Amino acid sequence: MSEFKIGVRETEGIHVLELKGYLDAHTAPKLEEAFTNLLTSNRYRIVVNCKDLSYISSAGLGVFMAYIEDVRKNQGDIKLSNMSPKVYNVFDLLGFPLLYEIFKEEREALRKFVDKTK
Amino acid sequence: MPRTRRTSSSQDSPTYESHFEHTALFEFSKVINSSLDLKFILSHILLTIMGKILSTKGMVLLETGKGRYVVETAKGFPSELQEAQLTIKRIPQSLFYVDKLRVSQYPWLASLKKHGVHILLPMFIAERPIGLLGFSERFSGKKLTTMEETYLRSLANISATAVEKSRTVSEIQQVNRKLDRKIQELNTLFDLGKEFGALLDPDKLVRLLVLSLLGQIGVNRYLICLRDGSDMKVAASRLDGPAPQGELLMKLASVKAATCVDDLVVKHDVDLREALLALGLRVVVPMQTQGQTKGLVLLGEKLSREVFSPVDLEFLSSLVNLAVISLENARLFQEAIEKQKLEDELLIAREIQKGLLPDVIPAIPGIEIAATNISSKQVGGDYYDVLSVDQHRHIIAIGDVSGKGTPAALLMANLQATIRALAPLDLSLSEFTQRVNDLMCRNTGGNKFVTFFWGVIDDRSRTLTYVNAGHNYPILLRSDGTSIRLDKGGMILGVLRTEVPYEQEVTQLKPGDLLVLFTDGVSEAMNKDAVEYGESRLEALLPSVRHCTAQEITDAIYKDVLHHTKGAAQSDDITMMVVKVH
Repeated sequence: MSEFKIGVRETEGIHVLELKGYLDAHTAPKLEEAFTNLLTSNRYRIVVNCKDLSYISSAGLGVFMAYIEDVRKNQGDIKLSNMSPKVYNVFDLLGFPLLYEIFKEEREALRKFVDKTK
Repeated sequence: MPRTRRTSSSQDSPTYESHFEHTALFEFSKVINSSLDLKFILSHILLTIMGKILSTKGMVLLETGKGRYVVETAKGFPSELQEAQLTIKRIPQSLFYVDKLRVSQYPWLASLKKHGVHILLPMFIAERPIGLLGFSERFSGKKLTTMEETYLRSLANISATAVEKSRTVSEIQQVNRKLDRKIQELNTLFDLGKEFGALLDPDKLVRLLVLSLLGQIGVNRYLICLRDGSDMKVAASRLDGPAPQGELLMKLASVKAATCVDDLVVKHDVDLREALLALGLRVVVPMQTQGQTKGLVLLGEKLSREVFSPVDLEFLSSLVNLAVISLENARLFQEAIEKQKLEDELLIAREIQKGLLPDVIPAIPGIEIAATNISSKQVGGDYYDVLSVDQHRHIIAIGDVSGKGTPAALLMANLQATIRALAPLDLSLSEFTQRVNDLMCRNTGGNKFVTFFWGVIDDRSRTLTYVNAGHNYPILLRSDGTSIRLDKGGMILGVLRTEVPYEQEVTQLKPGDLLVLFTDGVSEAMNKDAVEYGESRLEALLPSVRHCTAQEITDAIYKDVLHHTKGAAQSDDITMMVVKVH
């Protein structure tokens, strides 16, 4: 089975999820769990860094969809960054750039959060 | 000679101009061929020509197939002209003036004329028209010179190839994107097929289906129902209102193929569509296997606001059908496990019960005892026991624990343990029963009970002292043919702590007396027509078999019960004990 790992860290009250490996139907529940943990502790400002994400399936994308409403309802957001062209292509094909802010670099995503609160 | 030519060109204005224009044409070609961005190319074409002929308005119409043209870019014209459509059946091959053509021959000219289009410059690739450039009259009002006309034709030719190239590339890009999307869809199906196959938990399966739908289709409102017998149950939902219930869902079960809610035709029901739209739902996809609708997937609007295309519906059907097979398998698997669990449990219960019944009935002088227990499929919780307290006193007992299966068997074990633990104490049967009852009340919390009859036979005095705690009255058939019922005692065991002491009765046993103890599995044994065997039938049978051995009497009773039930399956244990006094 392909590996999938999630790292979580915090900078300036923003939580960064670092995804690594294959995010597919099999591993999607792990990401769900990570989001559930953030949301139950009222963390709504989230950046997902996809630097080491090598594959994403629609079930993986579905996780983002499943949580975005609750996050935005609480004045937060899920922003994405550092996607490889292959991963970006999947996001793009399914129309995600319309719904999510996707940044080249994590710091741009973080800045967007910080600027907004100023 | 080069020198001569240069000299002559500087003197001869048309040649000089021609040289200048060749350079300009080359530059123009370089610029518009440097990009594949159609907007940029068209804009550059318009501005170049408008600048060249000093016209204040310009537009590009592009052929979109079957003689339909659309205004792709316009400058100086009213903005509503953008994307206006026109059907042009016939078009002159080369530059022409709107005034010079008859509208009757070219009816489409009228609308262009109305907007002040004066000069029209068609773009052709070989014989095929690909577009039309239109301009207003020159600012100066002057006519185009022949040379200018030639120059414009050249521009149009160069433009035609650049536009065609850009459109072809973008078409290929679109085709590629569609292909990518198809591959992505197949990947999704493959990914899920793999995962669905490995999952046997219906809840997890549904969650995975939801995630995949959300991700693949880009929706955020959904309702997933699964059929449960004759009902449709909501398995997962995110809606703008409370999830709909049974009846509405059952109506939807008649939908045979993936359908947009807008196209939904359900007989005699217009409200259904409205109800679904109000919940934010836009598409219904039935989950089908073997022609049966096993469930429904309903989805809301796409966040991109695009409508569901036939390709989307096709994909949804594939995905949902993949899911339903796995869900069905998971359901069958769960059922098999449940059944296995139940059977294992019953096996345990049966073994407990068997273990509790005495292997050998102790021999009592002058008393012959036989007993039997035929446990039903579910294991009813019947119990009988015969044990000697000392050399001359012997306990006979029969009981029926409420409930079935392992819990009943365990309570029975509890009762037996209590009896065996208390038996050596020097207590009256009444006190004894009270203790057992109070202990059982504490142990069961009052939600289980036992009907119980027990007695102590003393082989010296040939007496039977008994207490009946709510059990079917045993029948004592005297040697003289009269029969009495042993009904003294008190409340069933295990429900309430003892408040009124149990009554005990002493009966003198005489040779020839026959005592029959039984559980309701005997008296309530039913035939197919739900008619019970009945205690009176039992009482009527006894005189005819009283001369047989205890074992033969037991067998005869069982045979009579079977004769009554005629093979109907029994839900309760059949237990009895026959005591013959010699």
